[in-house]
Amino acid sequence: MFADFGFGVLVITFLLSLYGISAALIGHFKKKQAWVESARLSMLLTFPLLTLGALTLIYLLVTNDFTVKFVYDVISFDMPLYLKITALWGGQSGSLLFWSWLMAAFATAVTLRKWDRDREFLPWVVIVSCVTIAFFLGLNIFFENPFAHFWVSVSGEIFPATFQPANARLVTLDEIGNGTGLNPLLRHPGMIIHPPMLYLGFVAFVIPFAFALAALVTGRTDDRWIRLTRRWTLIAWLFLSLGLVLGGRWAYDVLGWGGYWGWDPVEIAAFMPWLTGTAFLHSVMIQEKRGMLKHWNMILIILTYALVIFGTFLTRSGVLSSVHAFAQSAIGPSFFIFIGVTFVISVALLIYRWAELKSEGQMQSMFSREALFLLNNLLFMGILVVCFWGVISPLISELLTNQKVTVGPPYYERAAGPLFGALLLLMGIAPLSAWGHTTLKNLAAQSNLQLEKRYALAIARLLWKPAVPALLVLIGLFASGIRDIYALIGLTLAALTTSITAYEFWRAARARSRAQQENFFVALWRLAGRNRRRYGGYTIHLGVVLMALGIIGIEMFQTQTQKSMAVGENIQISGYTLRYDSLAQFPSEDGRQVTRAVLSVFDKNGALLGELHPRYDVYPSGEPMTIPGVRSTLADDLYVVLVNWEGVSEQTTPFKIYHNPLVNWLWLGAFVFIFGTLIAAWPDEERETIPAQARSTQAAFQPGD
Amino acid sequence: MSESTVAPRRGMPVWIQVLVWVGLLALLGLVAFGLRRAQQGTVQPGDTIPDFTLTLFDGYQYAGKSEVKFSELRGKVVVINFWASWCKPCEQEAAELETAWRDYQDDERVVFLGIDYTDTPTPALGYLTKFEITYPNSPDLGSRVSQLFRIKGVPETYFVDPDGKLSYVQVGPFASAAEIHSIIDPLLKP
Repeated sequence: MFADFGFGVLVITFLLSLYGISAALIGHFKKKQAWVESARLSMLLTFPLLTLGALTLIYLLVTNDFTVKFVYDVISFDMPLYLKITALWGGQSGSLLFWSWLMAAFATAVTLRKWDRDREFLPWVVIVSCVTIAFFLGLNIFFENPFAHFWVSVSGEIFPATFQPANARLVTLDEIGNGTGLNPLLRHPGMIIHPPMLYLGFVAFVIPFAFALAALVTGRTDDRWIRLTRRWTLIAWLFLSLGLVLGGRWAYDVLGWGGYWGWDPVEIAAFMPWLTGTAFLHSVMIQEKRGMLKHWNMILIILTYALVIFGTFLTRSGVLSSVHAFAQSAIGPSFFIFIGVTFVISVALLIYRWAELKSEGQMQSMFSREALFLLNNLLFMGILVVCFWGVISPLISELLTNQKVTVGPPYYERAAGPLFGALLLLMGIAPLSAWGHTTLKNLAAQSNLQLEKRYALAIARLLWKPAVPALLVLIGLFASGIRDIYALIGLTLAALTTSITAYEFWRAARARSRAQQENFFVALWRLAGRNRRRYGGYTIHLGVVLMALGIIGIEMFQTQTQKSMAVGENIQISGYTLRYDSLAQFPSEDGRQVTRAVLSVFDKNGALLGELHPRYDVYPSGEPMTIPGVRSTLADDLYVVLVNWEGVSEQTTPFKIYHNPLVNWLWLGAFVFIFGTLIAAWPDEERETIPAQARSTQAAFQPGD
Repeated sequence: MSESTVAPRRGMPVWIQVLVWVGLLALLGLVAFGLRRAQQGTVQPGDTIPDFTLTLFDGYQYAGKSEVKFSELRGKVVVINFWASWCKPCEQEAAELETAWRDYQDDERVVFLGIDYTDTPTPALGYLTKFEITYPNSPDLGSRVSQLFRIKGVPETYFVDPDGKLSYVQVGPFASAAEIHSIIDPLLKP
């Protein structure tokens, strides 16, 4: 039977990863390379094996085998093929398997790299990866088996179990009927790719963590582990970012509340590793350039891994209630033990190696590049603390007062808003700052005050030119009647960061085109190619600014109105007039009952701009779905929702209308952001690392470096 | 680099280590507490049933309201039946349950509650109509109540005494209304 085959594959892979762990341990302690190689090969096999396991489950889904509980829970006959396949991650047990599968893909990929120069890391990378895989597979095997069947006991009860219980027989397809089917809200392209992206981001962060732990265990605490994992980290970060953005897009398109982010515990659980991951991406540069912040980088990567696991735990154990929560299950306690053990081991190792992670350099000025990077890290940590507190405060309040008190979006917005603003400012200014000196001569020659002055002046000299357009934007905004102080600050900061970033591109490209006698655009292209990390980073910054524009637009300038209208009536919102033209109710081809309204949109002058079709679909299973009618331009979105569908008639149809200025920039910014990350992560030949000694004697003061 | 610039190698100060471990343990303790809360609910005969609230299906009411709060049923014998529209054995007992309910519906001391486990509204309402079920019924949103009782499958029926303690669990369908009577009646004796 296919289901039993699939379960067998899971068990074999589980045992194989346990073997990998033991072989790596033996190889490390007995110094036997053959054992380590054997461990590597066993990790190499996890992906092909789990591919077989996942394909088996997909086969059961596609063939509608409802005697398997997971299949019954997530699909029904009437679902299209692609949804049956993607239902693999539509429920707890399947998504755990999917998680392990992706993890195995990364683990296998990492075994295939050239290990010659990093032999000592190998056993520990295998151990960390295999422990993680074995843990998730263990959850599948012992608690949440996606291959469990339904059985019928002698007393006639239908219940799920992995193995045939005594005196029970397998349920027949007739007895079980049609499956429950996937929640219609999840039948959206954004929702189909959103979880895989998030999971990819989550699992990819396991690799840098594995290298970090390997560095801690082996005592090779130079920046090799960081250089090795830079690209893994970027990829992880890219997927995590994509997952978050797609989740937002899905919410905007499907949930019909005119927003994209609700500060739900599960959203925050995915956002927290992103925060530490982003801080990590920045602070590793300081370790590479200046040999500083070594402790901090270790802490950040450990935190990121911990938050990945912790976030997965929170959403799947039923500890927090959320719209995203999976049904409660028995995996909580084992997850908890896993979290406890990994936290304790990581922290113990970090303390053990603390002395060896000493900084090679010193912070010299508050205005040096490294100081600003550190400030950036502190701001990210600030947002993390805000988020973390928001997530665990219901637990604390329940412990102290026996009542769950949940904090809402206003708390997060008030507490994290200023921090985001400061980050936006820093994002603009930091690229103008200079790396600190390292040579002793320079140090002795100048007093602290002189140094601060020199670093600050270096920024100021470069800042004034790009500040002019930002100032003009501010004046323009003020003149156009915007008086909201936060909006003014936010938009000006966005303008400043954009102009500084553009200025940085322009300055460097012009210098190169003069020096190399190249055309300006050729120079720009080659420049970006030569220092992909920096210019990829700047491009990401531009993407973030665009996204910030969208966020400021919808958060601060959103207007909404609600009205029950009869056909022929009008409603005004933000200079638009909407006329309710008609209402239709009809069944769709796949059995949905559709209620659809048609509205015409006119601008201020009465010119027809187009039609909107907000609708309300009821699936054959009885589950409803609201699909807003959206008119989307670069300036704004007009977003119309049909509410309270039950009482809908041509005489009274209640509509909710949102006007969301600038929101499209959020999605456009995301594309720029992805593009920038790809530039930064694009593989190039691995260069020999420059020893720290040699680096420290290089000319250190390079404004804009 | 001259000798004097090499800082002595120092580990993490002890007080910070203590702080880190205390913080970590406090966090784990908090999560353990949350987890224990979330996991509670393995009910055995003799256990007090934790409180829960049901939002009834359209067309069903209890005491004039569309919501039933379990704690407000204290002092009554409560019969909680887990079922699903896809469950054939449930159909066997549906009529017996309804018959038993009709015998007790004028007796203020007995309440029947039906809870629909992992199901969809349309077939569920069809099932209720088909078997003319009149006692309050509700979907189990997010499987919360079935998790609370840790049901292993459907049908399962839980009998709660007037003190709110679980007195008997029936796994699988009832054969007759008389069987249901024989469980409820002893609980009604003072």
